[in-house]
Amino acid sequence: MTTLDQKPASSEGRKDPWSQMLQKVGKSQDREAYHALFEHFGPQIKYYAMANGLASHAEELVQEVFVSIWRRSCLYDWRKAAASTWIFTIARNQRIDMLRKMQRTSAEMQVETEDLWQIPGENDNEPVTSLHRLMSERRIRESLSHLPEEQTTVIAKVYMENKSHQMVADELNIPLGTVKSRVRLALNKLKVILQDQNV
Amino acid sequence: MTRHHPDSLSLMEYSAGNLSEPHALCIRLHLDKCSHCRSRVDTLDSLGAVMMEQQPKVSVSESMFDSILAKIDSEPTDQPAMPPAPRIGALQKLLGDDLNSLPWKRQLGDVSVLDITDRFPGQKEQVVLQKLAAGGKAPAHTHRGEETTIVLQGAFADQKGVFNQWDFVVLTDQDEHKPVAVGCEDCITLSVLSAPVKLTGTFTRMLNPFIR
Repeated sequence: MTTLDQKPASSEGRKDPWSQMLQKVGKSQDREAYHALFEHFGPQIKYYAMANGLASHAEELVQEVFVSIWRRSCLYDWRKAAASTWIFTIARNQRIDMLRKMQRTSAEMQVETEDLWQIPGENDNEPVTSLHRLMSERRIRESLSHLPEEQTTVIAKVYMENKSHQMVADELNIPLGTVKSRVRLALNKLKVILQDQNV
Repeated sequence: MTRHHPDSLSLMEYSAGNLSEPHALCIRLHLDKCSHCRSRVDTLDSLGAVMMEQQPKVSVSESMFDSILAKIDSEPTDQPAMPPAPRIGALQKLLGDDLNSLPWKRQLGDVSVLDITDRFPGQKEQVVLQKLAAGGKAPAHTHRGEETTIVLQGAFADQKGVFNQWDFVVLTDQDEHKPVAVGCEDCITLSVLSAPVKLTGTFTRMLNPFIR
């Protein structure tokens, strides 16, 4: 697989090992790489399911996510998203999908989960690869370690426990405005806020 | 008040997968046309990935992996399935190809509406399409609760600016506005209402969403 060895000039753009493995799964249905992804991401996804109230379906969710990873891996483009970001969005969508299917009949599902929640790099008409997509995960990991705990706690509840800002406020017994300002402070430091006021 | 683009907090709730379906639809329609906001969501999705990575892990068994392999092997071929032909977007699935020919209900003057709440079973919000005839005006009104709107066709203007196709607007009870359809096309918007709208002008209660 010589194509896998082609590296971009910038070291920032170099594929992380998980993205390389995911690409191998997509290109050549490499089961060894697939197994490595399972060992790395399976435990994360299982925790994710348990944290957001799907404990009794945790293994089912992990399986659904991995079947979906296998099926979609041919669409994966490492230039558009790191493997972990791509896998996170698949886990998120499978969770939403599972909840939707529990709550209604398929006849009522006029719109599919993927019509509403996009997997990065798919349905994307833009060929442009922005370098910040590749750098953002590393930058986020670094910045996150410097955030006060009260901010990371709020973000974790939003992403892992799938609580709305209002639910986080109720649970922590603090005003909604406080939750929002903690999130804004964190997103600011993570440079996720991109001049809300000036766009 | 949010104008033209969703704010970071809403994009975060979207990225986390916590929005209701009608709200997610509004964001998705905007993202399909706004590369700026899409790249913000890409970054937020990466935040989600890093959060997931930093949580405790729960061990998974080899037998689980075996059953995943059994599942993928039971598929017709060993090749991962190729994607289906070009996807039909959510809007088209919900409303068909021609927004203008929907069964609009003429309200007062220049305003027509179509309530599509029943397309979102199990969701709490009211979802309404509104059409303001080209050059037409809607009466002044404020909103009780919150109204998230995306422009699907044409453009409208109010005291705060001009809103073009795929622009995103959130109005709250602090915002009184008096929209006018600009350009030569009827302006069609999709709004998700968390509570009914309250009239402020001399127009009366018989009015509807642009207005409700």
